[in-house]
Amino acid sequence: MSAAMLADTVASATSERARPGRTRSNSARVALTACAVFAAMVFGLPAAWILIGSFRTNSDLVSSWSSPTWSILVPAQVTLENYVDLWNGGFGLALLNSAVVCTASVLVGVAVSAAAAYPLSVYRFRGRNAIFAIIVVSFMMPFEAIAIPLAQQFQDWGLANTLVGLILPGIGNGLAIFYLRQHFLGIPGSYREAAMLDGASEPRILFSLYLPMSGPALTNAALLIFLGQWTAYLWPLLVVSDNSLQVAPVALAQTFGQHAASYSENFAGAVLLSLVPAISLFVLQRFFGRLTIGSGEK
Amino acid sequence: MTLAPTSRSGVSTSRRRPSAARHQVLWTIIFLAPAIVALLALRLAPSGQAIASSVFKAFPGGLVPPTFAGLDNYVALFGDPRFVDTVVRTLVFNVIINPLQIFVALLLAVLLVQRIPLDGVWRTLLFIPVTIPIVGSSVAWGAALGPDGPINTLLEAMGGNPQPFFTSPTQALAGIVVIASWIGIGYWMMFLISGLQAIPGELYEAARLDRAGPIRTFFSITIPMLRRPLLFVLVADTVSNFVLFVPIQMLTDGGPQDSTTLLMFDAYRTTYEYGSRNLGAAEVVILTAIMLFFVLLQFRLLREEKEKK
Repeated sequence: MSAAMLADTVASATSERARPGRTRSNSARVALTACAVFAAMVFGLPAAWILIGSFRTNSDLVSSWSSPTWSILVPAQVTLENYVDLWNGGFGLALLNSAVVCTASVLVGVAVSAAAAYPLSVYRFRGRNAIFAIIVVSFMMPFEAIAIPLAQQFQDWGLANTLVGLILPGIGNGLAIFYLRQHFLGIPGSYREAAMLDGASEPRILFSLYLPMSGPALTNAALLIFLGQWTAYLWPLLVVSDNSLQVAPVALAQTFGQHAASYSENFAGAVLLSLVPAISLFVLQRFFGRLTIGSGEK
Repeated sequence: MTLAPTSRSGVSTSRRRPSAARHQVLWTIIFLAPAIVALLALRLAPSGQAIASSVFKAFPGGLVPPTFAGLDNYVALFGDPRFVDTVVRTLVFNVIINPLQIFVALLLAVLLVQRIPLDGVWRTLLFIPVTIPIVGSSVAWGAALGPDGPINTLLEAMGGNPQPFFTSPTQALAGIVVIASWIGIGYWMMFLISGLQAIPGELYEAARLDRAGPIRTFFSITIPMLRRPLLFVLVADTVSNFVLFVPIQMLTDGGPQDSTTLLMFDAYRTTYEYGSRNLGAAEVVILTAIMLFFVLLQFRLLREEKEKK
């Protein structure tokens, strides 16, 4: 739900900062470090295990589980065959479907959210509070809780088994609107007044003034919509039954459920699914760490 | 140019002020309409749809038009011991998993804001599971906790007995807790770390001067100052765990012996596998109501604590 805040949070949580700590004895420091290393291992090792396993042959991977040796983590040989097999086996198409759904959702979703955030940040008008209520309620309510009734509506509207049916839920994102509005509020009103004096129309002000000043907020809104769609599982499961339209998470779960499933190939699928969110979050962490909006108002 | 008094926005616009105001209304509508239509149709209307559907009755297949049935569906659900068990199981699951995840996340957050070498590295490692979509982590833990998986091998090597995990009615739900927590703890930890870093250092300085021990400092300074982020993660975590679905659908299908059938999964199964749309809609309504109750309860608890202060 809160991926928008997440990138910011990750940025601040992983950045170095003066901390309220006191000088401790060496033994306390060693104990604390040991605890941190242990926790990091508990959380990090399974991820490393998946990553390494995705480069092993399935027989090598599965046989390594029968003895408690380092072979659980160390492959006998490194191979790319899992990735090749995945690509040939239809997972490539599923990834492509996911990419199309995500791209379209981000483009339309960010445009719709930014357009809505603009009047909410610069105008006062009757009904504004009602609109805020709609926005807040819409992001407090988890999407899964409404997915089942909504999927039945989509069925009735003829949107089952269509790309549009997969994309639409990604574009109405209350949190993205909320987040962009917060950012727009920080842009000095004098900029807008100056642009109006120059005769700029409202869309022009939004596109040429507000959006260029909102790089990080737009990226954050885009990330929020993107991650939601990239990891979506229940929704595509409900609205798509045609395998040629299926998105990557559901495709992975379906191959995992098959009896002849290759663990190493499934691990490779999990790695491919994780790659994009991992890269975007860790890259944006640097990005958000540095960029802050500079107000030029005197 | 007219000689009308100049407005705040200057001479050139004052001449067409009435039309500017009309323009403003027009643009507000144009800008807001797509988002509001999307939110109403895609986020809010389905809840109303679920409520409406839950008071009707239809035969699976939909050949006969549904008839109004009042609260019959709800009465039928609560008269079914399997459904009551599912509700109780969902409540127990949430009463355990949410405090557990937040407690461990808080512990790790406090640990990782201490001055320890390479703290950024440990934080990053703890955060890595968050980037793995839950389908991927279900694949991983499904394999790791399989009958011939590496966890059982390690258990045996340490002198334990191999465990059935997902094939045992007493262990499967714990396995689901592990999967959800492997992802969740690092996620909520990040919010708590930011919260901890926002606490002014002077407060700790003052506590030190007063010779307060670490435990006292934690309960008298850290916890009260962290109340807002704690509430946020608790509410958001509760919401996400009430709708937990993926590992159950992928790994246990609600079994063995219904031991992992939580309300969200049950609503899905009733609607799609048993084909009872109206009964499924009633389950969705019940799930939403329970979830809202817990969220409001948590807000309430926070507000009361605030007033006490």
